[in-house]
Amino acid sequence: MKIRSSGSNVPNVDMTPMIDIVFQLIAFFMVITNFEQNQADERVRLPRDHLARPPEVKRENSFTLNLGFKRDGETGAITNPEPRLFFGTDEVFVEDSTSRLRQEAQFYEAMDVDLAEVTVEIRSDGDVSTGVVQELIQKCQEVRASQQSTQGFQRFALRANQKTE
Amino acid sequence: MKLRNRYPTADRIASQMTPMIDVVFQLLIFFMLTLKLIEPEGDFNINMPLGRPSEAKVTDAELQPIKVRLEADPQTGELRNLRLNDRDLGGGPEVFQLLNAEINKVVLALRNVGPANAENGADMQEVELDPDFGLDYKYVISAISSCSGRVTAEGTTIPLLSRIKFAQVREKEQ
Repeated sequence: MKIRSSGSNVPNVDMTPMIDIVFQLIAFFMVITNFEQNQADERVRLPRDHLARPPEVKRENSFTLNLGFKRDGETGAITNPEPRLFFGTDEVFVEDSTSRLRQEAQFYEAMDVDLAEVTVEIRSDGDVSTGVVQELIQKCQEVRASQQSTQGFQRFALRANQKTE
Repeated sequence: MKLRNRYPTADRIASQMTPMIDVVFQLLIFFMLTLKLIEPEGDFNINMPLGRPSEAKVTDAELQPIKVRLEADPQTGELRNLRLNDRDLGGGPEVFQLLNAEINKVVLALRNVGPANAENGADMQEVELDPDFGLDYKYVISAISSCSGRVTAEGTTIPLLSRIKFAQVREKEQ
């Protein structure tokens, strides 16, 4: 005789442990996701130092300049020895960066912020010649938002990765 | 007469878990894909005078800046020699420890200099870094670190000098 199974025999899967774990995973990823350092460019290999610490008070007005090389995606080897500034997908040599820096200066002037209060955070690759970094600082100092402006950027911070061991 | 429900389970409201699980998995995938493991970063403040070196006037009453000259190998950009106030410290891997020890000595000597209720000597003392154009930037960071603090054996950091500046850019070596 054929016995039909009734609907009540369908196994009832308990979803609670899975949902618990999934929520824990979401919480984990939310906590470790860093939304702050969105101006960091992966192509720049910062030097490492055990004394490099984030500023105790978060800077109100700052912008980041990424200075590095074109590198091979897999090996990380430098494919072009000319250091350049990375602005998203754009690449600009330091000697050609005046107009970009002027745009930054004009932005802060439009926001009524004194350029002396703005910190330029320089993220430079450890293999870049120091003279190029100095030239970049000099360009930031010399840039003017307009012809009436009397000063350029004056505060600079050199970024490095924190060495933990 | 009290009527009892003959089929109590049939009336239970079954909560629909499927949409919630869909959304939760979407969130999970979003966070997994956007995750970018970035090493924590820190920074060092630095100044660079605008004028030529001759324009920077230092009066007798002020402390002369400590001069750290960093000489590079023009071919490789590696550090060849580090000079602290005209004293050669060499260019090996331990040179920055040596520099750190020397700066520490200077700071200890300066702690009691300066008028009362004012900045002490160590707070007023400047360091001027004068690197070759072609020197790899990582050595400059090591030099700044050696001048700005000291890590003890217990792992605590003792601040040394905070006023660090670059000298003018040197000519590019041919």
